[in-house]
Amino acid sequence: MLGFIFSPDRRWEAPATNLRLLMTKAYPTEQYARIWFSLGTLLVLAGLSLAAWRAAPRTTYRKLAGKFTGYGAAVIVVGLLAPFSAGATLAYLAVGAVPLVGGLMTLRLLDNHDERDMSTLLVSVLVVAAGLVVLWTVPLGQHTFVKGTAYARPGTVALTTKLPLSVMLGVMVAAFYVGSFVRERFKSLKAALALLWLLSPFILTMIVLRDPAFDSAHLISTDIPIGLAFGIGGGLLLWLLTSAKAGEAGRAVSVLLLVAALASFLTPMRMVVRIDALMLAALALGAATFAGSLESRLRYIGGWIGVLAIVNWIITATNTPSTVFGMPTGTFFGGGLTLTLMLTSFTVIFAFPIGILMALARTSKMPIFRVMSTAYIEAIRGIPLITVFMFFAIMLPLLLPDGMSVAQVPSIVIGYTLFSAAYLAENVRGGLQSVNRGQHEAAEALGMSTAQKTLLITLPQALRVSIPPLVGQAIGTFKESSLVLIVGLFDLLFIARNVIPNTSDFLGTSRENLLVASVIYWIGSYSMSKASQRVERKVGLGER
Amino acid sequence: MTDSSPEIRDLSHAKDMIVCDGVNKWYGDFQALKDVTATVKEREVVVVLGPSGSGKSTWIRCINRLEVHQKGVIIVDGVELSSDVRNIEKIRSEVGMVFQQFNLFPHLTVMDNITLAPKWVRKMPRVEAEDKAMALLERVGIPEQADKFPGQMSGGQQQRVAIARALAMEPRIMLFDEPTSALDPEMIKEVLDVMIGLAESGMTMMVVTHEMGFAKEVADRIIFMEDGELVEVGTPEHFFTNPTEDRTKLFLSQIL
Ligand SMILES: Nc1ncnc2c1ncn2[C@@H]1O[C@H](COP(=O)(O)OP(=O)(O)OP(=O)(O)O)[C@@H](O)[C@H]1O
Ligand SMILES: [Mg+2]
Repeated sequence: MLGFIFSPDRRWEAPATNLRLLMTKAYPTEQYARIWFSLGTLLVLAGLSLAAWRAAPRTTYRKLAGKFTGYGAAVIVVGLLAPFSAGATLAYLAVGAVPLVGGLMTLRLLDNHDERDMSTLLVSVLVVAAGLVVLWTVPLGQHTFVKGTAYARPGTVALTTKLPLSVMLGVMVAAFYVGSFVRERFKSLKAALALLWLLSPFILTMIVLRDPAFDSAHLISTDIPIGLAFGIGGGLLLWLLTSAKAGEAGRAVSVLLLVAALASFLTPMRMVVRIDALMLAALALGAATFAGSLESRLRYIGGWIGVLAIVNWIITATNTPSTVFGMPTGTFFGGGLTLTLMLTSFTVIFAFPIGILMALARTSKMPIFRVMSTAYIEAIRGIPLITVFMFFAIMLPLLLPDGMSVAQVPSIVIGYTLFSAAYLAENVRGGLQSVNRGQHEAAEALGMSTAQKTLLITLPQALRVSIPPLVGQAIGTFKESSLVLIVGLFDLLFIARNVIPNTSDFLGTSRENLLVASVIYWIGSYSMSKASQRVERKVGLGER
Repeated sequence: MTDSSPEIRDLSHAKDMIVCDGVNKWYGDFQALKDVTATVKEREVVVVLGPSGSGKSTWIRCINRLEVHQKGVIIVDGVELSSDVRNIEKIRSEVGMVFQQFNLFPHLTVMDNITLAPKWVRKMPRVEAEDKAMALLERVGIPEQADKFPGQMSGGQQQRVAIARALAMEPRIMLFDEPTSALDPEMIKEVLDVMIGLAESGMTMMVVTHEMGFAKEVADRIIFMEDGELVEVGTPEHFFTNPTEDRTKLFLSQIL
């Protein structure tokens, strides 16, 4: 392995030069600021969240020193084993000696019971900062593409790499301190952050992919009136339905509304109207549960208006052609890691509620729900993922009624969501079954309705138990998204294996690129699994 | 405790809180309750005794419809149990239940365990629910535990929280199904003391228990069950000094 990595035949400049291709495919250079902006947004969220949840773990000086000693030793071993020139070996030995000696010295200085500790976050930041200092100072060589030809120049890494990366680090650290500062003063910080995380894939996708040139005439004549009509009309309807007197008549109205909303998909009508009506019907059906105090009714209506605003904004933004790239609506020109991450995050976010609903249906007392959900889950589990991708990429557009069209990536996301939801449902069902009967009985004996019992008692406990399999599934979703290459989408793996090695400058470098892609997948999967372990500890899984 | 002794309490004019008339229940072919007929008056404390498998749990679980009986009538506080959901939810919020295994919600703090149902079922404002929960925790003697999770408490403390949780719904009747059977001996007393206090405050109670001391001291009436039938009903004095039925005598000889 070492022999492979450090052999002089290896052309590591291939992935280095094509880092952009791996990350984003053919994303236009002059628009790259958007990618950095999106990454920056995610890092700000990450920094704020680490502070809000006090997630930064601590580690003792002793452990830290032990780790540094280990890393130093590893670098030295690599330096000795790999087939280097004498100079390079010496350089490795020198680089390895610093942490090794530093670590050993610290260990000597501390006695065995020293319990002083520091934040591992601080350590990571310092290490990354040290790495950046290396990028700024050490002449690693500069690899750039200029008009289709690769150039390697001596000097430090290109400014377009090191500057944004440094800014990113600064932004994240700043966000962490801001988060620590406001967390005591701003009570709903966690709720706000959770919402932002949930929305970020939608908004960032919009930022990365399009610059909606709002057609203000259309906006004023159509979009805003539709939004207002649903906001006001729907608000009034929900106000009536949440009154204590609604009763059976209210339920009948909600069911009628649901039927009408579903029927609207068969008639020519604006997509926004159909989707809004469907959402309103769903909320109307749930209205009876929220009947009661003025406050809870108003909160329910506020929820409706919030959801409506967000969904309508996304629909408007999606339907507006992007002016910047001069591409027709729906064309997808991004790719690489960005595509992989988008597929994963959308699929996980959408599959989660659907999977939970199916798990509840499968364990419900009502036979139709049970049969439908069991049939669906078993059917999906009998189909390979590749087939699902092919079906949704190729067949779905053909099956849609005239005048309706779905772009390739959204239809892949739909397929992948329906696929994962079935597996997710099974994981959640396992959790639901682990909640013992006494919990159901206690909730019932307190007079809770089935909905209250499910939302307040059984689901929270079931989800807590299901964290490990659910994270396992998210990791699977991340890695298996690479199968989209079968329908011609350029994800990270496809670019590494087929695209870069076929360019004239880097013929036959597939092994180097694949290794880099594997490392990227590994980093993604490993950090998810680490995060899961931390969450498990936090919710006290296994304590009881 | 003497002021709650059975002789002094005259409940003959009190209103009927629980009426069971010819209640029958089958699990498949197995008949768990056979023509159970009994009435519990307001403010009365009834202790149900009987060997394992005699149907004690089944009976009191039928009273808040955790189990469904197939034949006969059960009327709780004037409302007849039927399959109407509204009816069931109304009765359940009037009848508190305490289980052998406590059944606290492990993912919620003690405070949330107690305030959850008042907030969601009774739609009580949060502040009011929390004030009330604190008062109840004082009453069961563990106000300092409000922010703990059930898994961090002893069995006796958990059972007292479970009682407070049931009381938070302001029930008119409390059902106890062997509330002390899962407890270590040294914790039994702390739970029984809470129950005695509750009986003194005039709560209507039905208690399945093997604590003969509690039955003697607190019960207004004792019901002895075997094989799904009510074998003997009487005051503690009658029951422990001169029972009429042979089956009761046999049971008492084994247990005392
Ligand atoms: N869900 C059930 N299905 C079938 N049989 C049951 C079920 N629950 C209880 N039984 C049977 O009904 C009978 C009465 O049970 P029950 O739990 O009411 O007894 P118990 O008097 O409470 O006994 P213990 O003192 O052991 O708690 C028992 O023979 C039991 O096996
Ligand atoms: Mg029992």
